[in-house]
Amino acid sequence: MLLAVSALVFLMSHFTPGDPATIMLGANASAADVTRLRHELGLDRPLMVQYARYLGSLLRGDLGHSIRSGRPVAQEIWERFPPTLELTLAAVAIAAASGVLLGAAAAVSRHRLVDTLAMSASLAGISMPSFWLGLLLILLFGLVLRWLPIAGGSSWQALVLPAVTLGAQAAAVLARLTRTSLLDVLPSDYVRTARAKGLAGLHVLLRHALRNALIPVVTVLGLQFGTLMGGAVIVEAVFARTGLGLYAVVAVQARDFPVIQGIVVFAAAVYALVNLAVDMAYVALDPRISYA
Amino acid sequence: MRRITATALVLAVVGVGWAVALHAQESRVGGALTIAITEEPDTLDPQKTGAAVAADIFRLVGEPLLAHDFSNRVVPALAQSWEVSRDGLVWTFTLKSGAMFHDGTPVTAQAVAASIERALAPETKSPVAKAQLGPVASVEAPDPRALRFTLKQPFAPLLNNLTDSRLSPVSVRAAEAAGADFGRAPVSEGPYTVKEWVSGHHITLARNPAFTWGPPYMHSGPAYIDQVTYRIIPDSATQVAAFESGEASEIAIPPHDVNRLLATGRYQVFKFLRKGVGLFLEFNVTREPWNDLRLRRAMNYAINKDVLVKVALEGQGEPAYGPLPPSIWGYWPDIVDYAPHYDAGKAKQLFAEAGYTQGPDGTLQKDGKPLAFTLFTAPIDTWTRSAQLMQAGLRPFGVTLDIQTFEFGTLLEKLKKGDQQAEFMGYTYNEPDILFIWFDSQNIGSGLNFSHYADPKLDALIEEARSTVDLTKRAAVYQALQKYVVDQALWVPLWINYNYFALQPGIADARIHPDGYVFLGDAYLTKK
Repeated sequence: MLLAVSALVFLMSHFTPGDPATIMLGANASAADVTRLRHELGLDRPLMVQYARYLGSLLRGDLGHSIRSGRPVAQEIWERFPPTLELTLAAVAIAAASGVLLGAAAAVSRHRLVDTLAMSASLAGISMPSFWLGLLLILLFGLVLRWLPIAGGSSWQALVLPAVTLGAQAAAVLARLTRTSLLDVLPSDYVRTARAKGLAGLHVLLRHALRNALIPVVTVLGLQFGTLMGGAVIVEAVFARTGLGLYAVVAVQARDFPVIQGIVVFAAAVYALVNLAVDMAYVALDPRISYA
Repeated sequence: MRRITATALVLAVVGVGWAVALHAQESRVGGALTIAITEEPDTLDPQKTGAAVAADIFRLVGEPLLAHDFSNRVVPALAQSWEVSRDGLVWTFTLKSGAMFHDGTPVTAQAVAASIERALAPETKSPVAKAQLGPVASVEAPDPRALRFTLKQPFAPLLNNLTDSRLSPVSVRAAEAAGADFGRAPVSEGPYTVKEWVSGHHITLARNPAFTWGPPYMHSGPAYIDQVTYRIIPDSATQVAAFESGEASEIAIPPHDVNRLLATGRYQVFKFLRKGVGLFLEFNVTREPWNDLRLRRAMNYAINKDVLVKVALEGQGEPAYGPLPPSIWGYWPDIVDYAPHYDAGKAKQLFAEAGYTQGPDGTLQKDGKPLAFTLFTAPIDTWTRSAQLMQAGLRPFGVTLDIQTFEFGTLLEKLKKGDQQAEFMGYTYNEPDILFIWFDSQNIGSGLNFSHYADPKLDALIEEARSTVDLTKRAAVYQALQKYVVDQALWVPLWINYNYFALQPGIADARIHPDGYVFLGDAYLTKK
């Protein structure tokens, strides 16, 4: 899968109009200078040769050097990945906690006020663009109430608003999914049996109903992780956070091929790992599932 | 006895006064500033970057040979004096004594020459050095404080170009030792050193206490503010919010927020006229229908620049009439009267003279073909609004305009190849030599001559302007050049915008420099 991803991004970035040597040297450069730089960067070799060289380095763990800054791509990515990971994990945590809670509350009090409120909140969460929500939160909590920093650094306070903004949409999706899934599970035989045995409502909910209801939720969460990593671009820009998302955009604008390729391959690898973790989670949730 | 007492008294007063002044200066030292920037520089090696933000930051990290004072005149900076030979080929600069690089090594003429050689070396791949230094044949240091440039032909822009912060000397010894990391922590000789760079987040500069070789408009001595941090905040709304919450000390105010911030009365707001034409419509004269001069002239009468300034710029700018703005030396003031103004009657007349008649649906037609073209532009807010206004304004004349937006890198590629019929463009520059960049035929295809216009007469005028060192004569050539460009109607110049900076209260003695930045060399904090 990674091989396919690397080939795809390599082709896509090289076929986009725009040449890194020209961009680097600026519009004043002579044609001779641009030709020389392209040669030095290996950009004038046939595409297959360039790809083969890239693949070779990749297999050795060498992601090349950024055309823009001259530094190793691996170093550039490594410096910027932790903040993005931190943001994504916080967003996932917020999305999972609030989404499941909201969805469960809605399912349990189905068709009553709590349900309606929860589903309306969910609708709002899905419809609000993260850009807009982020700026709104900055205005309210940063400027009016002055509770949280706006262009903060690495403190946990600086993480709150961006994580909420990023997690909002995912939370909304998860809330709906949890509600539907729970409503499917609640009328089941084993739930009625548990209740008949005299177990408390909450105990039934947590130990029996939710565990089964969560399987589709966990799947979606794993898929959402990819969306969240992508959404991090906007949130990182709005909240001025260092991160891989924003860096990817800058790299694309500069046609910094090694960086673009490096980030995409890295992100694909992370995504693959996350889905592996999701598969493992299934086993924990449903003992009937096992991998032979 | 009386005389001794009197002298002693005078000496005492002078002594006390001097001590008080010194203490006042010293007590200004300290504090930290945070400046918001929209994007991170690619590198801070001044010889390897073309980015404007890198040049901005390097104004504090380096000190070039020359500077512009507040009246746009070239004044001493690292060089205390200079002279040029009669034939304009040999420039000799005398360096101030006592200047040191941030690593403690002395800034000798040999060191500066080595730095310039590095800038010009092909391995450095500098995007700006060659263009800035022009036809430099060699750089020598006949003695420790004398730096000599020998040119292949006279090059008048040299003095202005030597004020560019990216031509500040760097320590070649430190560069060789640091290798690729030099771009993260460059060693130059300016009022600040690069202390820290956290990727994607901020760059922090620390005050250089040894700095005493600044330009004459700066107090003699090191800067007062201890620390300057450039905080990368990509979104302009977030920048304004961070400024209003006090997290940022200085921002470039987005046009929408200017009036609101001014109305609060709380902040220092500086304004300057952009050093460049902010927006112009440029015709590709090799493509229909813009190969017809009459049609290009007609467009110059058909577009209402005042409306664009009023609506697209919200009044924060002025209309442009020629290829140079009033803020660049060499601007010909009478061009306002010479160039076309909006005149619907004249426009219609010229469209008719070009052979266009009104078709049945209201569009202008010639030989059955309607007068329609596609405008290439970039996704810049003010450009988009100007394009839409222009589109609406041209419709009554029967001109149909299609707007196509491209990401900036892609746009430049297409313009070089000549894919466009016409495009929007703008520039910032500090020298009238920008006319070489836009109009010389050698810049077609590889450079910025997007009108693809080749004219030996224009080339000759440009060459003359570049090589005339005498200021009065040079100004006269630029006047002829501006007239010629307007006569050929290669552009419809549209507007020059004002740029605004806001500064927190409590920062004293910050001044707006006409080169387009807030000069902080004398600034200090009144409450730290």
